[in-house]
Amino acid sequence: MTSRYLGRRLLQAVITIAGIVLLNFVLFRMMPGSPERVLMRNPNMTQAAMAAQRARWGLDEPLFPNQLVAYVSSTLQGDLGASFKYRGQPVTEVIGGRVGPTLVLFGLGELIAIFVGLILGAYSGWRRGGPVDYVGNGVSLILYSMPYFLLGMILLVIFATSLGWFPTTGMQTLGANFASPLEQALDFLRHLILPLAAVSLGLIGQYSILMRSSVIETRAEDYIQTARAKGLRGSRILRAHAVPNALLPTVSLIGINLGFIVAGAITVEVVFNWPGLGTLTQEALAARDYPVLQGVFLILAICVVLANFLADIVYGFLDPRVRT
Amino acid sequence: MSAPIGDPVAGRRERTLPKGADPDAPLLVVDGLTTHFDLDGATVHAVDDVSFTLRDGEALGLAGESGCGKTTTALSLVKLLPPNARIVSGSVRMFGVDLVPRSEDGLRRYRWREISIVFQGAMNALNPVRRVRDQIAEPIVQRLQLSEDEARSRAEALLERVGIPKARGSAYPHELSGGMRQRAMIAMALACDPAIVIGDEPTTALDVMVQAQVLELLEDLRAELGLSLILITHDLSVIAETCDRVLIMYAGRVAEEGPVRRVFALPRHPYTQMLLRAFPNIHAERRTLGVVRGSPPDLRTPPPGCRFHPRCPLAIEPCRETVPPETTFADAVRVACHLYPPGSDGTQVAVPIEQISAEPAGVAEPARAAEPAGPAGSPAAAGGGR
Amino acid sequence: MTAGPVVSTPRPAPSSRTARQVARGRSFAHRFVRRPEGLLGLVIIVFFAVLAIAPEVFVGPLETATTASGDRLEPPSLAHPLGTDNLGRDVLNLTVHGARISMMIGLLATLVTVLVGVLLGIVAGFVGGRTDTILMRITDFFLVLPTFVLAIILAPIVLELVGGGSEILGIRTTLIVIVVVIGLTSWATTARIIRSQTLSVKERAFVDRARVIGAGGWHTMRVHILPNVTGLIVANAVLVFAGAILTETTLAFIGLGDPFAPSWGQLLGAAQEAGAPGLGVWWWYVPPGACIVLVVLAFTLMGGALDDILNPKARGRR
Repeated sequence: MTSRYLGRRLLQAVITIAGIVLLNFVLFRMMPGSPERVLMRNPNMTQAAMAAQRARWGLDEPLFPNQLVAYVSSTLQGDLGASFKYRGQPVTEVIGGRVGPTLVLFGLGELIAIFVGLILGAYSGWRRGGPVDYVGNGVSLILYSMPYFLLGMILLVIFATSLGWFPTTGMQTLGANFASPLEQALDFLRHLILPLAAVSLGLIGQYSILMRSSVIETRAEDYIQTARAKGLRGSRILRAHAVPNALLPTVSLIGINLGFIVAGAITVEVVFNWPGLGTLTQEALAARDYPVLQGVFLILAICVVLANFLADIVYGFLDPRVRT
Repeated sequence: MSAPIGDPVAGRRERTLPKGADPDAPLLVVDGLTTHFDLDGATVHAVDDVSFTLRDGEALGLAGESGCGKTTTALSLVKLLPPNARIVSGSVRMFGVDLVPRSEDGLRRYRWREISIVFQGAMNALNPVRRVRDQIAEPIVQRLQLSEDEARSRAEALLERVGIPKARGSAYPHELSGGMRQRAMIAMALACDPAIVIGDEPTTALDVMVQAQVLELLEDLRAELGLSLILITHDLSVIAETCDRVLIMYAGRVAEEGPVRRVFALPRHPYTQMLLRAFPNIHAERRTLGVVRGSPPDLRTPPPGCRFHPRCPLAIEPCRETVPPETTFADAVRVACHLYPPGSDGTQVAVPIEQISAEPAGVAEPARAAEPAGPAGSPAAAGGGR
Repeated sequence: MTAGPVVSTPRPAPSSRTARQVARGRSFAHRFVRRPEGLLGLVIIVFFAVLAIAPEVFVGPLETATTASGDRLEPPSLAHPLGTDNLGRDVLNLTVHGARISMMIGLLATLVTVLVGVLLGIVAGFVGGRTDTILMRITDFFLVLPTFVLAIILAPIVLELVGGGSEILGIRTTLIVIVVVIGLTSWATTARIIRSQTLSVKERAFVDRARVIGAGGWHTMRVHILPNVTGLIVANAVLVFAGAILTETTLAFIGLGDPFAPSWGQLLGAAQEAGAPGLGVWWWYVPPGACIVLVVLAFTLMGGALDDILNPKARGRR
């Protein structure tokens, strides 16, 4: 793949991230109350610290470009401000501890969903009209129409509360003593399964519908008729001709949808009290902890941009036409 | 400049025939082929009672206006039709074996290995994400069970034969020019050494110079490999250059069929006459081009009797009621027209020149262009947080 | 290349413009009826619309903490077919009233989204050039953003801007804020789609002819482009509605709802806070949840049917 294509995409990613930081700055200045009030809400702030922060933010200087530059440089240095709720603790620390669980939950969910969803969608789109297609499509539509957290709530009440197969909250059983790392891992898995199921099923619903309609459109292309004329078997045509082409718009759409899906993933955490960015967002919202909210926004946005960049790379591998 | 692919002899080559095939039977006999489409509840009578024969090494041109059923006829031969189409009656016998009643699996043996197709518009007919060489090698691997390496070298030999350097084989379709793509399609069609190659408007999308090269290539290949060719086109000059026989179709039916020189020199069917008048002839004296007035009928409700009668300047009473029978004359020309009933001597009934461009009598109100279609975009998932 | 034959229309085209519109409308209705999913969607939407217009007619006034009619957390019974919540309010009552609030927010948010999206899309597509590039950069930027979190951050800002009063034009301020916030963050997909369509309409010959004649930009946009984009706008708006309801639900769930005007999302959030799933109190959140699924499904089905009808490419294919 040419470095030109990669270079273009990388540049776009960088520009987007720059835009996000700029947006964050605008939001920060638009927050109700001036930044001084923001500072003053922090009970741990001493006069000296406040003066230092004001200097760092350049609050006594003109808005543009000085304050903007100050904001951007402090962000780049990893200073995202201090949390209200957690009494002045740096936002980066507050968020840092929560990123891992979200990555695990969401990352695994995406992987499962991409694998299962694309296969289901391809099969369903190819064998259009059979009973499998109707049922599968119906189920996918229902999953697609359901907020992920609702799915989580339903799964919880059935499998955790009623059947008792899985725990109802958290990532790890509190205060438990584990005999071995294996036991601890198993306990972690037991806690992971339901939220993972909620995230995965929702995503599977979405991706299978995407892939299905992509395959249906691809099926009508002329080169599929050429493949039929060649006397190839249906399964071969699907695998070698339909899917590689149907994947193209699907991969693009998966990338674009990431921004929307973030909402779903993090609300699932709330249902299961999974200690990730989702629960953090809810707590921060309740406490009106704006620095943390902005920090979460920044981190999530950067993740989405990077994931999109990854999707672009994958797309470049799949479609030779963009590489020139 | 070529690596031998098949045994280059005239007539039927040494080849392994499919099971049940009769080596003494004619190559292809189509008898009374009728294909209908189901479209939104109505039935489109796309192909009606079409018959013709194709002999070894022969090139047959299938000519007619857009929508006259030529492509549908050709695709019906290997049942490569959309799901809403069905072959209602008739037979397609290759080596004596009727392909129509065969299932998809039973038919597979004949696809590409006996009958292959060069589609129009190679840009769309080739898979955009696979290398050209791999697409040519694919049927060799899948259908002839050769190894990947053997298939690749055969594919490269084929590319060279059609005038594409081996090195370009690793290119993707979008990296080739239109002419090269079309030649790659021809190479692909030859991959399994078929008996019949169907060219569906293979040169229509190309400019004139490239068109000439591709036609010349087809001619060379035909001579060298003893191929039979069915060339579908609306361009009579292509047929005049390349084909031995021509079959003129109108509204899903055969109008006239016979040796090319004969039919073009002495067109009998009024439609053939008008069609020929509509083509500029660089050698003939200057004249005003005739325009065939009116449009083809709606095949959901084809006119009774002869389907051409609403546009025919020589229409007589029987034309409105009875389907014209086919009469074959001594010069091997077959015509379906009441002006040439069985037993007549085949003298041409010429359409007067003024009549060719005149508004035909008693024609239905000319079809207006349909309204501009609705918007073409599609709302992708409108998203929204969930 | 088509395998099917060319079919010409033998019927003479109606002469007047209104006659043409009537014919088009009738053909549209005919095609819509032949799609059962679209019909099903329509029926569901009408059902909920009726509930939303006059919930009091069906279940009486909205119950509050002080007018709660039952004991806390009662499971479904004859008196309370859907049980009660942790304040003793009848869940059926809450759910039916929630229909009005959720649908209303959905409708208003859709209006904002579609307005912004269509405006930007048509202008970008029609004007082209640098304007198009700039607008599309901004649009792509918004497409990538996790707009959900952005919405959460925007909410207090918008609240400040909108003012402190508890009602505006009869609608509670918090709800207005939600509407504006959803509108401001969801317009990107619409803008893209409308821009594509505008571009393809622009390509068509008659627009060029209009320009040659000397018709002005706004006139061309209004008379030529808009009618050909309207169908797509409608189909897209239906899908946007589905998305808006989901967005509102999620925002309300995570805490941006209004407990005094509870939407379905707000009910779900309250149930979650009270620990309903863990306690097995399924009747509190399954009804509003089911309603959400039904409505979103209905709009998605209808949007799909409309798209099918207005996007003939996908019809009658191999």
